[in-house]
Order: sequence, then structure tokens, then C-alpha cells
Amino acid sequence: MRNKLYPSYFAWGTILLYLVFFVVPGVMGFYYSFTDWNSYSDEINFIGFDNFKEMFSPDENYVDFIVNTLNFTVSTVVLKTALGLAFALALNEGIRMKGFHRVMIFMPAIVPMLVVGLIFKSVLNPATGLLNETLRFLGLGFLAQKWLVDAAWAFKSIIAVDTWKGVGYIMIILLAGLQSISKTYYEAAEIDGASAWGRFIHITIPLLMPALVVTTVLNLLHGLKVFEVVYVLTNGGPGWSTDVLYTVIFKEFSMGRYGVGTALSSLLFLVMTVAGYFVIRLMSRQGEEH
Amino acid sequence: MTKRLKRGWTLTAALLTTMLVVAACGGGSGATTENGGAANEPAAATPAANEPAAEPSTGKKDVTLTYIASQGWIKDAEMELAKKFEEETGIRIDYQIVPADQYFNVLKTKLNAKEGPDIFGGQSGISEVTLNYNVEQNAVDLSGEEWTQREDPLSLEQVTVNGKIYALTIWDTANSFVVTYNKKIFESLGLSVPKTYEEFKALSLKILESGVTPIYEPIADGWHHVLWFAEPGPRYDEVTPGLYDDLNANKKKFADDPTMLNALAQLKEMYDLGFFGDNTFSDTGADTATKLASGEFAMALANQSIVNDVEAIGGELKATDFGYFVIPIADNQIYYIHPGGPSKFIYSGSEHIEEAKQYFAYLAKQESLQYMIDNDPTITNLNFPGLKDKYTPAQKELFEMYPKKGTDIQNYVNYVNPQWMDIGKDIAAMFGGAAQPADVLSTIDKRRADMAQVAKDPNW
Repeated sequence: MRNKLYPSYFAWGTILLYLVFFVVPGVMGFYYSFTDWNSYSDEINFIGFDNFKEMFSPDENYVDFIVNTLNFTVSTVVLKTALGLAFALALNEGIRMKGFHRVMIFMPAIVPMLVVGLIFKSVLNPATGLLNETLRFLGLGFLAQKWLVDAAWAFKSIIAVDTWKGVGYIMIILLAGLQSISKTYYEAAEIDGASAWGRFIHITIPLLMPALVVTTVLNLLHGLKVFEVVYVLTNGGPGWSTDVLYTVIFKEFSMGRYGVGTALSSLLFLVMTVAGYFVIRLMSRQGEEH
Repeated sequence: MTKRLKRGWTLTAALLTTMLVVAACGGGSGATTENGGAANEPAAATPAANEPAAEPSTGKKDVTLTYIASQGWIKDAEMELAKKFEEETGIRIDYQIVPADQYFNVLKTKLNAKEGPDIFGGQSGISEVTLNYNVEQNAVDLSGEEWTQREDPLSLEQVTVNGKIYALTIWDTANSFVVTYNKKIFESLGLSVPKTYEEFKALSLKILESGVTPIYEPIADGWHHVLWFAEPGPRYDEVTPGLYDDLNANKKKFADDPTMLNALAQLKEMYDLGFFGDNTFSDTGADTATKLASGEFAMALANQSIVNDVEAIGGELKATDFGYFVIPIADNQIYYIHPGGPSKFIYSGSEHIEEAKQYFAYLAKQESLQYMIDNDPTITNLNFPGLKDKYTPAQKELFEMYPKKGTDIQNYVNYVNPQWMDIGKDIAAMFGGAAQPADVLSTIDKRRADMAQVAKDPNW
């Protein structure tokens, strides 16, 4: 049967919208990253790579913010994927109150991040917070920490809160992936004498790879553009120790330094595109090899 | 035309008509709404904020002015006056209070996005209003308002750019932050008001040994701990005469000044010795009165009215149980004057500029100002003449104890106040060991240079 061809003008409207709302602002933003555009002057001058040079200047601490962002991204990708997979595997089995557990783990995903931030700001208060109070009550006061205000713990706390919030969402995607794997593969493997670990490595992981690619890319992009959780919990503090790229971009824009802000945004866009592309390629290839 | 196509056209026409009707009805229903035709038509005799249809003839307007401000800038008495103002005029003030550590980012994002509120709060100071708020672009010129003839010229100067007045400042004249100390604790330990940093350090150590935390310092607010460094500014200028002017002329840098470096080193020492307690990084200013009232802390760097809040808590301590002295860092003995304070600006893009001016005129009336003094425990006097103050004996004693006065650093030295929160982060990093006092000063210089460059300052 011959495929019916539709006229190309059907797509013109969508293409136009895409051009106006995505491509043009993107190109303009890229251009402005090479200018000294700011809110104090009507003049916009082309300054070449000065904004980018400033980012990597030893006098500035933008590199620290980039490192923080990457640290957050890698940590949350690993933690959310590992925990999400563990929960998905556990709740894919016939355990009691399976539905209840699924709902409980997923629930944080639907709570707005600002609310999560405010709750945890209270929970993690070193003097009056629920966590330290509980630890002291249990006689584990030596484990109590200044979770959000000690530079050694603040970043770890942010990662933990973000993982708590996001793991349910990852679990649901992986659970859907697990349920799409036909049981016949496992039955055949069992007949062949494959161990549980062998079945996991050689059947579950390869067949779950499309879902893992999705969750990894989602986590990666979320991690690189993390903002709310940092802003609400620590606002980048103590000092500048938990600032990430997006909090700095926000501050640059609010200071009216649009040129530097767009340069940072362009850099982030570049990092996200490259990282996303390589992760998808790498993980897809691994899936195909299996 | 087929029947199906006809039905499609009919549905589309109905949908478009519905959308037009909804759009027309929704046109005036934003956060700041004005009742259609209210300005020219007879208005309602009864409060009619929610019943625009019943507007009769008292000239009331159904307008809501959005007013965004940082926490602590809007006094309770002003909110009460706003209710009276609404009763008289129908103009409602919708206060949007933002936590102090996030305020400037929120406000400036709104201003830079050209989506400012009708009224916005901002700190006064020349470099502040030009660089942080760009008032020539973002605020309305208020030079022609009646109250500008009465307001303290020193306050007006702080919000004047190129001869135009851009804000109304109504702020306590005794707004200088001073060390507020618990006299009972001092007496029980045989302590007296310190005149040097070493005396201050010695008495703080003695307080610490007694089991009381010497100072309640709310670092979590992001701005408060900067006061310890900035308020002894007149002392820096005293040790190095002409320093303020040289800093403004870019002949000197912060990093070059040994007194400033010493002050930061002393501040770091205070932190390291535990004078601020264990939870200073998560302590907030809102708890200051409670903490002083608890007796767990002997001192706090606070606005002089804090003692009224302590008494209002209802504990054993009364306002008279507290005394004041200036920050003795760098051996400072000068009482700093802060002629400005949080001020009110009208956003140039507001649709209700006249109503906002009307509100300012109402607040600046003599009876409104006296009402604020009489009804707000945090206000002892305001920056307008002819008002009856309520200075306490402790305040009078404070004014007598420090006859030498000077202007604070953020109101005199350019490009300091706009980076206040950044300095807060630098000092927090210094407390945490991630930066040295010299780094803090160099970073301040770097940001000043950046700002001066943007402002095309000829001295840079």
C-alpha cells in the first residue's frame, strides 16, 4: 500500500512557532553572551569572549560553581538511579501492601520543591530540627550535625533532599520498564540454570536500558539546571559553598548583568547538550551490545 | 458546505465569541484592578472593595496597590494606617513581604523584567538607589510632593539623584544598630561597658565562662553580620583621615586599609571564640527579642527599639534592664548616624502612580507620623520635624555617652550597600575558613570596580 503524503504547509505553523519562541530567543541569547548588556545602560557593546574569560578567570569563583553543579549532577544521577532501581525491583515483586508503598515513595515527587525546601529547612535546623532532636532522643546525639549551615554538610544535605524528592519519579519509570519485560525470558533463563544475579545482569539490565536511558538523561538535565532546592535550603550558603550555576545565573540577572547571565546560560546549554548526547549514545550502545 | 463543516464553523464562531466575552470581562481583573469608570462616576458610600457595582459618590476608587518590601521594613502601625487609608479612599494596599535574604534578588528580577509592583521598598543611599534600583528609570520623581518640604534634608539627600527626589523615607531616627546588653548579666559578673576591642573580648570571655552565650548573631538572614564590619566605618575614617573620600575617588582600596583588615580579623576571632554560639548560622533576626528575653544571650547587635519587643514578650526582663554601647571593633567609640533607611519608591511602570502618591501623602501627614510613633513599639522618633519622640533614658544615656558621631560606611562610600548581601556571604565564608579577612576586602574592591565600570564612574 502506498503511503499517503501530506502537504508540507501543514507543518509551517508549528515550525514558525518553534522559530519564534525557541530558535530566535536562543540565537539572540547566544549573541548577547558576547556583549556587555546590563540594566544600567542603554548601550549594548560587543565585547568578544570577555564574559567567558571572566568565568574562567582565577579571580572569580565561577569554576567552583561549575564544579558544584557537576558534583550535584553526578551524585543525584547515581543515587536516584540506584535507589529508584532498588525500589522498582522490590515493588515489582509480590510483596504485601505493594500499592501503598508505591504511593508513599512516589508522593514526594508531587510536592512542590518550595514546600519541600521549607519543610526540610525546619527538619534540618541544627538546634530545633526534627532530625537532630530525634537523634538526641535516641541517644545518638553525636550524629547530630549542622546540616544546612556547615559547609561540610550543606551540599550533602541538598543532595539528600533532592534524592528524596526525585527517587519516586524514577522508580515509576523503571517500574513501567520492568513490567514491560516478558516473563518468558526469565523462565527460559531459569530452565538454563541462570542465577538470580545472572538474570538481573543479562536480562533485566539490557531490557531495562531504554527506561534507564530516559531516567539518566532526565536526572542529568535536572541536575545541571538545579535551582529551587539550593535556593530555598541554603541560598548558596554558607558563604558561597553551595552555589550552583543556576543560582549564580539568577543572581547575575537580578543584578542586571544580562551579558554575563546569558554567557553562563549559553555555557550551561552547551554542557547540557554535550552531556545529554554522550549519555544517550553511550547507554544506547551498551543496550545494543547486550 | 456539508452539515459537518457547517457545525464546525458554528462551533468555532461560538468558541471565538466566548473567548472575546471572557477576555473583555477579564480585562480589569488583575491584582491591581481599577473599577471601570470609577474615576469619573459617583462612588460608593460604603466600603466597596469587593462590590464595585455599588460604587456611589464619595470619590472612592477600587484600586489595589501592590507594595513589595523586605521583612521588617513595614511596621505594624503603617499597616494599620493603610487600613484607615483604604476606609477613606477605597485604595487598598496589598503588602508582599519577602524574606530579607531573598528580597533584593526578587525585587531586582521584577524591576529588570519590567514587571515591578506599584510600590517597592528599597534602602536609601546614593549608590544604592542608582545602582541597585536604577531609580531614574524605575521610579517616579517625587520632588513636587508636599512632604519633601518637611522631611529631614539628610534623609532626602539619600534618595536624590540629579536633583530629583525618588522616595519617601519614614524611618526611626534612632535606627542605628548598637550592642544591646543585659544589665543584670553585666552587673552579676561585674562587667562595664567596653571602650576597646580587648575589653569587649575580655568581658565576652567572662560571660562565656559563666555559661551564657555572649552575643546573639543571626547570620541566617544574610545581612545582619555585615553590620559588625560596616558600622564602625567612621572609626576607619578617623584612623585614616580622608579614607571615605579617597575610597570614593578610587585613590584607596579596602584591601589597603589596615583598620578594616584588623576589624575583620577581630570579627573572625569573635566567631572562633564562640561568642556567637553554636547555631549562629541558622539563627534568624526574628528571634532576637526572644533570645534576649530568655537570658541565654547577654548581648545582641540590634535596633534600639528591640528592648520594647523583649518587654512585650512578658518575661522577667523589662526594657529598662538593657543598656547600649557602640560596636567596639577596631576600638570604635563613634556613634554612627544612618540618615537613610528603608524607603518607599513608586514604580515608574505602575498604572496607579497618582494613587500611590496619595498613599505617600497620607503616610507623611503629621498626624499619621505621630500615630506611628505612638502606636509602634519599634519607633521612638521619625525623620520629620515637630513630632513628639519617646526616647528612653537608656537611649538618652547612649547619645550622651558617644558625643562623636559619623556617617556609616554604606551611606557614604559608593558601591558598598549594593553588595551588602555579597559581603555577607564573604564574611560567612571567612567564618567557615574558606576565605581570609584580606580575601573579603579584595573581593569587595573587585565588586566595587565592576559596579563603577558599569556606572561609567570617571574615577575608575
